[in-house]
Amino acid sequence: MTCDLVRIRLEPLSVELKLPLGSSLIAALAAHGVEFPCGGMGECSGCQVRVLSGSLLVTEADSATLTPDQLAKGWRLACQARAHESLVLECGQWRMQILADDNPSDPIPKVGALATMVAPSIPAVISRERAGDQSASSSRGLAVAIDLGTTTIAAQLIDASGNVLAVETALNPQAAFGSDVMSRIRAALEGQDLTTPIRVALGQIVARLARGRASQVAEVLLVGNTVMHHLFGSLDVEPLAHVPFQSPNLAEQRFTPRDLGWDLPSDCVVRFARCIGGFIGSDILAGIVAAGIALGDDLTALVDLGTNGEIAIGNRHGIVCASTAAGPAFEAGSIRMGMRAVTGAIAYVALVDGTLRPTVLGDGAPRGICGSGLVDAVAAGLRSGSILANGRIADGSKNFPIALPVVLYQSDIRELQLAKGAIAAGFRLLLKRLGAQVSSLHAIHLAGAFGNYVQIESALRIGLLEAPHSVIHAAGNTALRGAKMLLLAREEPQLPPIEHVSLAADPAFQDEFAACMTFPENL
Amino acid sequence: MALNVDLYDAILNGNAKKAHAATEAAIAAGVEPMALIQESMVPAMDEVGRLFECEEYFVPELLLAGRAMKGAMELLKPLLTAAGQKMAVRVVIGTVKGDLHDIGKNIVASMLEGSGFEVIDLGTDVSPENFVAAVEQRKPHVVCMSALLTVTMPAMKLTIDALQTAGLRTQVKVLIGGAPVTHQYAKEIGADGYSENANGAVGLVKNLLAGEAA
Repeated sequence: MTCDLVRIRLEPLSVELKLPLGSSLIAALAAHGVEFPCGGMGECSGCQVRVLSGSLLVTEADSATLTPDQLAKGWRLACQARAHESLVLECGQWRMQILADDNPSDPIPKVGALATMVAPSIPAVISRERAGDQSASSSRGLAVAIDLGTTTIAAQLIDASGNVLAVETALNPQAAFGSDVMSRIRAALEGQDLTTPIRVALGQIVARLARGRASQVAEVLLVGNTVMHHLFGSLDVEPLAHVPFQSPNLAEQRFTPRDLGWDLPSDCVVRFARCIGGFIGSDILAGIVAAGIALGDDLTALVDLGTNGEIAIGNRHGIVCASTAAGPAFEAGSIRMGMRAVTGAIAYVALVDGTLRPTVLGDGAPRGICGSGLVDAVAAGLRSGSILANGRIADGSKNFPIALPVVLYQSDIRELQLAKGAIAAGFRLLLKRLGAQVSSLHAIHLAGAFGNYVQIESALRIGLLEAPHSVIHAAGNTALRGAKMLLLAREEPQLPPIEHVSLAADPAFQDEFAACMTFPENL
Repeated sequence: MALNVDLYDAILNGNAKKAHAATEAAIAAGVEPMALIQESMVPAMDEVGRLFECEEYFVPELLLAGRAMKGAMELLKPLLTAAGQKMAVRVVIGTVKGDLHDIGKNIVASMLEGSGFEVIDLGTDVSPENFVAAVEQRKPHVVCMSALLTVTMPAMKLTIDALQTAGLRTQVKVLIGGAPVTHQYAKEIGADGYSENANGAVGLVKNLLAGEAA
């Protein structure tokens, strides 16, 4: 029996696929890294493709989501499309990705960058551990640390001294089921298998990391948010789908390579570290370790500025943490001319003698603006008086030109207000919970890619952060660094109680959120 | 038509203190509560909605204006009840089961209230049974549901189904809203309407009820 196949070519990367006649495009495109932000429900237009050759019917979701002009140009939602003939498609998402090779601001640090980042900043506890660990650790061989993010995966092979021997990064294959944790939960509850794809993908990553020395790998440690923890461990995500968002299964999960189908020695221990509570998982736990929050009496904070902004503040006596839905504005996801930090993106904007001076990545013509550029641009607009404290563009026009053709629209500034308001309000409420003042903060560590590239000066000007400049530091991938520190520690580090605070349940949140949405006057 | 400029300005500027004072002064001067609502509060909230629509106002201004309006309304409500007066249209509103997000819902509630509707706010995490009970007891013309999470959206359908089962579905118009909700979804689950913002929700309620009257 032969099945009729149609050929699909995806441009601009010229990826060739063969699909059974009449089948949906989702699985095949997802396998090549195309993301489906709403989970393939036809509700967003993130997966749009343009028909270059052949034809795709206009579905109801196409008409509802795309403009007549876009439809006329051949744009369709890939998630709704079925292949009834051979096609050549342009993948909207790849127009940016193809330029990512010379990307000077890769979201996942390269080996060198990470090594230099880890070495000088490892807090005392791990240096001490390592010093005392020399003899014992040499027999332990190699270990793998994995930061399993909702969007990206970063993994490193390390030796017993913490040297990084190999690095692998990848997109999370669960992206086919949606870009945020809620879409993943919905897909899992609808009976989709999200466990096998991630176990298979990580098995391949581990195999590549350990090529030729798999027999020496004694331990694998994964960190990630609660949803990643549950989906990897094949645990029921139903408790995470409704208030109070508390799962009974927050403990560390242990696996043998055989459980996972991974090609590692049978006595190798694979662990997914314990979750903190709610959606806050071991990535923040690892971040707390990396930032050294539990080491001293001084109050220290960790702020992970992603789609789900996560904040932890505390000291060795106790830590409070919360997650807050900042949305995709920091990654320029909801910004009209927003783009990733790749060639053509405005990454920085300075105000010199009243004139905006943008820095374009790759020094070419500007095509859009990334998260750090957005924060800079709004900060510059506030300084020059072009943007008012309430977020309005001062001259009443609906856009604020940065470097033509790139402009910020009024709605873009509103998106940023929502995102920064959520983070700042969360931070204020956690401080209040501790009964502490900003002035008693010893340090604020900014985790994640955005935290690494945002100009702290600008973050302060827009009120995203409210603290003296001198205490704020970019900290890189604290989840991966913390995972390595946990692997290298001879025994589990003693952490104080970590209280998870549900911001949505706090009646003060709405007022604080509204207050934090406006920009500070004359900073 | 007697516009109370002090109350109007206080609501527009989100000044709860001044709105309270202006309302007290008007009551003392013998202004009819219903007239104050219809001739000053409703126009003020209309203007707030217009300013939001043209991107002049944003969420903080909506919340502040809503709070100023609510403070004034609290002074007037007992007077209305004592006089045996009622708003012509009653709306039941709530965030669906499993969901605690209430900022959007609160803004819609205050915009509706400021448009001269009686609003019964059931709060957050409202089960289908509680929506049904509210419809039975309070006999609203409209039910508004909010969900902010993709995973709690199905509770909207469950609520509509529960209204159907209880034989109440034809007595009310059902409107839905919230970040992940779409027009398409509203159609799918058999809601009567969807709005992407609070101002749209007010227009939608007016249109639906006008359509029914016609």
